[in-house]
Amino acid sequence: MLIDINNLTFAYGHKVVLHDLSLTIKPGDFVVVSGKNGSGKSTLVKCLLGINAVSNGVIFFNHEDINYFKKWTEIGYVPQKFDDFNYEFPITVSEILSVSKLHKTPEALKLKLLDDMGILENMNDSINSLSGGQIQRVFVVRAMLNHPRLLILDEPTASIDRKNVEYFRKTVNRLHAEGVTIILISHEQSLDELDYTHELHLDPNLEHTYKARPVQPPTEDIA
Amino acid sequence: MITLSFFTDLFTESFMQRAFLAGIMLGVLAPLIGSIVIIRRLSFIADTLGHFSLVGISLSLFLSYSLGNEIFADKPLFLGIFFSVVGGLLIEIFRRYYKSYKEISMPIVMSLGTAVSAMFFSLSKKTGSLYNYLFGSILTVTDYYIVVIAVTMVVVILLYLLFFRQIISVSFEEGNAKFLGINLNFFQLVFIIVLSVVVSILLEAAGVLLISSMMIIPVAAAMKVGWSFRSTTIISILFSELSVFLGLWGAYSFNIPSGATIVSVNILILIIIAFAKRARLAAAKKRSKQDALPDSRQSL
Repeated sequence: MLIDINNLTFAYGHKVVLHDLSLTIKPGDFVVVSGKNGSGKSTLVKCLLGINAVSNGVIFFNHEDINYFKKWTEIGYVPQKFDDFNYEFPITVSEILSVSKLHKTPEALKLKLLDDMGILENMNDSINSLSGGQIQRVFVVRAMLNHPRLLILDEPTASIDRKNVEYFRKTVNRLHAEGVTIILISHEQSLDELDYTHELHLDPNLEHTYKARPVQPPTEDIA
Repeated sequence: MITLSFFTDLFTESFMQRAFLAGIMLGVLAPLIGSIVIIRRLSFIADTLGHFSLVGISLSLFLSYSLGNEIFADKPLFLGIFFSVVGGLLIEIFRRYYKSYKEISMPIVMSLGTAVSAMFFSLSKKTGSLYNYLFGSILTVTDYYIVVIAVTMVVVILLYLLFFRQIISVSFEEGNAKFLGINLNFFQLVFIIVLSVVVSILLEAAGVLLISSMMIIPVAAAMKVGWSFRSTTIISILFSELSVFLGLWGAYSFNIPSGATIVSVNILILIIIAFAKRARLAAAKKRSKQDALPDSRQSL
């Protein structure tokens, strides 16, 4: 297993957001985390990323307690919004990717990833000239350049149009097909177009469900 | 009156050569660090560190003139650097203490620095020298100052080249640092120490009140014309060098503080860039309207 969550309970003060959550994610799984606003999706991500300290229950990443985990380079994370990224200072897509890789990535791989995401022609554009959907894809490429064992993606919604959400979902399907383990936080009602293997549904009333998806015929890939 | 003897003196007078050399090196150092300061939204940190660096300068004067200590008599910069680093570490401590209101750290450290340095300046009876430290006096820099700048510049450029990836990654997005295996706390510590050293070195040329302008304004102007991080950094250094050269000329010609003239040229460049960009945008808008006109006529 890659991730093992055992009896995780998390509260902000007296407000319990996650209660007794247990699940296992194996390498190659594609887990969609769904649920309404306030159901604990972001809280779960923060626990997985070590931003929220887990004190009640335990999360193991590759058999290591997340509270003592140090190899964060094994996880790629793409947030929903990039409020923390300082856009106003000029920086090109290419520069972001060149300074953000840990290993010397072959140029061909970088170009392939950019091409796969449909942003190859934007390589020399300044990041602040791109749309929300394109920026999201740039950061997916950035996360992928480090060959993460797990990719955690917070699906964009409000900031980008429907067409871009569809493109984003097809991109995620492609990464999953290539064997990447994915946790996708979905803010959309519909999970159509996603080739996920498991769904974790979080509920504001703390009734969580985690189930494997019945086998589906594969969706059409992007041309 | 602008005087052309500036150019002849530049080749003949050793004080002019020192000032020119110091200015050229600071012209590279200031925007190089300034760009990181701007990206990290810490523009006021240079002012704060400059004020705290004054504690070291005033303490040197106090030790020299009141207690007769000769170690720091003509080299107040060393204690200036030391206290600038102390100020930087204090800022870091307060930033961690007031996690949600990190900017509180600046006025606390700045007030402390100003208050303590005022006391030492007063006790040393050398308040007259305060003028140079407030507004800069690049024309009076000494040989040891040139050596200190040169060493600092080499160290900063080496750090910049060696840790370029980490610097840019953390500067643009702190939260992503750990996914790249970067130790954020260690990075912050090294950054604050380097910044503190650079600020206290700039103090002699630009003066405590104008340090941040020398670091920030060339980058602010370059941001409006740069198209990438590299181009913006190079353009900011060019703007900075131009302002150092013209500022030095102005300071020499009118016998006024170098900090004031350098920063005035910096501001002038910023205004010219702002107007040029505005004019360019207006022209582009007009052109696109004219291009659209025949189409709309056709559609009518």
